[in-house]
Amino acid sequence: MTSRKVAKRGFNLDYIMWLFMRLSALALYAVGLTGLTAALVMGARTQTDISTLIRWVFFPNPMHVFSSDIVNLDGFINSFWQIMQITAVFFGVTHGMNGLRIVVEDFMGSTIWRTLWRGFIFFLWIFILLVAIYVVLAS
Amino acid sequence: MKKITLKLFRYNPEMDKKPYYDTFKLEAEPTDRVLDLMEKVKGYEDGTLSFRRSCAHGVCGSCAMRINGQNMLACKTLVQDLKTNKITVEPILGLPVLKDMIVDMEPFFINYKSVMPYFVNNSPEPSQERLQSIEEQERFDDTAKCILCGACTTSCPSFWSNDEYVGPAAIVNAHRFIFDSRDEGAAERLQILNDQFGVYRCRTIFNCTVACPREIEITKAIGEVKKAIVTGSLD
Repeated sequence: MTSRKVAKRGFNLDYIMWLFMRLSALALYAVGLTGLTAALVMGARTQTDISTLIRWVFFPNPMHVFSSDIVNLDGFINSFWQIMQITAVFFGVTHGMNGLRIVVEDFMGSTIWRTLWRGFIFFLWIFILLVAIYVVLAS
Repeated sequence: MKKITLKLFRYNPEMDKKPYYDTFKLEAEPTDRVLDLMEKVKGYEDGTLSFRRSCAHGVCGSCAMRINGQNMLACKTLVQDLKTNKITVEPILGLPVLKDMIVDMEPFFINYKSVMPYFVNNSPEPSQERLQSIEEQERFDDTAKCILCGACTTSCPSFWSNDEYVGPAAIVNAHRFIFDSRDEGAAERLQILNDQFGVYRCRTIFNCTVACPREIEITKAIGEVKKAIVTGSLD
């Protein structure tokens, strides 16, 4: 059996987002596990509880855990972790907002409401991203 | 003989303001088919009952109906398989009801036609048949079994919510030709399916696979089409 290839398939939003949903889910696992591993290595194993640890996994931002009992935050206060946080926020928010877009596409039909909801979701996506990135960089 | 209560969806848009159900009490053998019961009602109880049927042997795909809430062929469903004496028969969902169990299949066939479900080969005709190995034929053997009954498409929530979605049956029939080594229209078909209303509407719910009376692995076939779009490989 000879290998058959097809050319000219084209890109579109749904193709890109279909791929993105799968890759971003994997990326979120990777970012989460990295955060978890780093937190354990830097003392979380003995200095914190499970709820704080979970917060560190998904959003290892020192500002969010000042009230916790973690003694040493120095390991997380550098630009590497800021990039990790921004990556986590970008993948998580975009993944979730695309999920909302899919719900709208599925159930709204070809009405003006679909266009309005799409616009609302787009602006909500931008707004949440900007606020989250501000929190990460300002902390 | 078993005593069966057969509840049938009834709707005649020329007479009825809204659909209703008729109930008939019948005696049936466990090996009788639901189609036999409906024929009995039409022949002896109410001749106005309308439903499609043709071959009555699971080949033509005319008698797809919702039996006790699941899409099935009435001619392949035995009374004993339903494991109840109460049988409810309704038309398949997502298509406009014309009368009783008869739905307008036009939207279904518009979607079907949109994916080029026919052989495309513009190469000069060979002097003999276009030969194919057993492996090459096996690649699309499963999807070639489709009888276009519509049980899959009308069990799909994505299709119920938006009939612009081409639906599982259309993708299955596209798959049958996309993976045919003799066909040259794969790129065009993949481009058609690489669309908001193409393969991406499939949410892998698996209703289609459960509903298919030919036991085609529909969700797997849709996955293979998605993979072909991403990788460009038809292996």
